Amino acid sequence: MLQNVIIGQYYPASSPLHRMDSRSKLIAAFFYLFIVFLANNWVTYGVLIAFTVVTISLSKVPFRFLYKGLKPILLLVVFTMLLHIFLTKEGDLLYKAGFLEIYEGGVIQGIFIALRLLLLVMMTSLLTLTTTPIDITDGLEHLLGPLKKWKLPVHEFALMMSISLRFIPTLLQETEKIMKAQMARGADFTSGPIKERAKAFVPLLVPLFVSSFKRAEELALAMEARGYRGGEGRTRLRALAWHQRDTFALLLLALLTLSLFLLRN
Amino acid sequence: MEGTPFERRALHDINLDIADGTFLALIGHTGSGKSTLIQHLNGLLKPSAGSIKMGSTELKAGGKKQDLKSLRKKAGIVFQYPEHQLFEETVEKDIMFGPRNFGMSEESAKLTAAKVIEMVGLPESVLTKSPFDLSGGQMRRVAIAGVLAMNPEVLILDEPTAGLDPAGRVEIMELFYSLHERNNLTTILVTHSMEDASRYADEIAVMHKGELYLHGKPTDIFNEREALKKAGLDVPETVQFLQKWNEKSGLHLALTKFTVEELAKQVSQSLKKRGN
Repeated sequence: MLQNVIIGQYYPASSPLHRMDSRSKLIAAFFYLFIVFLANNWVTYGVLIAFTVVTISLSKVPFRFLYKGLKPILLLVVFTMLLHIFLTKEGDLLYKAGFLEIYEGGVIQGIFIALRLLLLVMMTSLLTLTTTPIDITDGLEHLLGPLKKWKLPVHEFALMMSISLRFIPTLLQETEKIMKAQMARGADFTSGPIKERAKAFVPLLVPLFVSSFKRAEELALAMEARGYRGGEGRTRLRALAWHQRDTFALLLLALLTLSLFLLRN
Repeated sequence: MEGTPFERRALHDINLDIADGTFLALIGHTGSGKSTLIQHLNGLLKPSAGSIKMGSTELKAGGKKQDLKSLRKKAGIVFQYPEHQLFEETVEKDIMFGPRNFGMSEESAKLTAAKVIEMVGLPESVLTKSPFDLSGGQMRRVAIAGVLAMNPEVLILDEPTAGLDPAGRVEIMELFYSLHERNNLTTILVTHSMEDASRYADEIAVMHKGELYLHGKPTDIFNEREALKKAGLDVPETVQFLQKWNEKSGLHLALTKFTVEELAKQVSQSLKKRGN
């Protein structure tokens, strides 16, 4: 019933991108979000596309996996593209039919915006595809570490994130179990009018809530019983390790930024 | 039910006839396919090959949308840890959930609730309480009452005593057994406990790696100790005792009784006979 739900989109493989430190990947992805906006002509977009394509091929993630991540936003991309095509009135008039006017500038603008969105989403999904959720939270905790100076509970946030990720499969299993138990008592989750169907979910949601709270309480107790007292002085099983390739990757990104600055209008 | 060799098949080549009124114990190691099998019995899972027939209803592989509701009414399942399925504000409403889904009127559902709460050994005053205010053992009983309220002809129990204390275990099992006797139910008990199986079951089916490994009367099954061991199981303690006893004493007591009390009687009688 729920087997089709895909949780986390990590794609296990052995590639230079998978082997990179999660911190360098996070920094790179974050930085990339900004430099995408530097591109404003064909040459700079060309450079960006080339860089992205090379990164994707390095990651060994099959394109259909990336496409799966892109699908939900494809509609948004097309919509923004159309908006730009029809509403931007710059450059030569290409086509006119009644009140519809399409200008050269609009077409170019539309293509650029669509490209920009696609590049952004591809690069960020590449981050989650090549990094395990645990690595991402560890990396985030490290990177946000300095914020502890301002009393921000960075460790706790990271812990919350990993706990919720850890319990997604458990919750799905539980959902399936309770769903079956209620179906055995004659509940029907799949047919009937919307209002009835919404009501039918009460027997599913209430037990789920109850067990989630119970589980949270048990987990908290188990953690306390084992002496958990926050991130202070805590060591890790899998320490993050910064390698030369991480420095190299960031240098490459700097180079890309520089070339974008030089090539843009 | 017959399965074809699919890559991730859970069940395979199972031919099992359960006669009306049988108390069948379904035994197997963790992951042997017991739970998967019982979920097929009321259409929660559909077979990819083969068919399941219950009364006049038949579930076929790749068949069209069958009348699952009548099938589910006929076969009540008490799942593992059934107390997790409670959700209503009051015990009464929760028990009425099943009957109401199967089209019973509000009044008769209320009457049924009052009847079944007594059956599971709880006072009627519980009906107005919230199920979440009850103790774990009481919640289990309420959940069981919720299944009994559907008045099923076939009662399927998936390890109904898991997590209960020894006294609670005996009580719940005795409850099911008396229901089975009184209402002439067909009962299928999924269990790890050879003791429970030997005490209550007319027939035992042993599952191993998704296949029906052994099936027969308890006496026949317990004579296959080697085969049971291969499936990661063993005969009940009483049978183990009897076999050792026969070895050491040179007596040959027949393997007919499985409960501790009955066995003790049997042994003492034979000792007396020898003494004479």
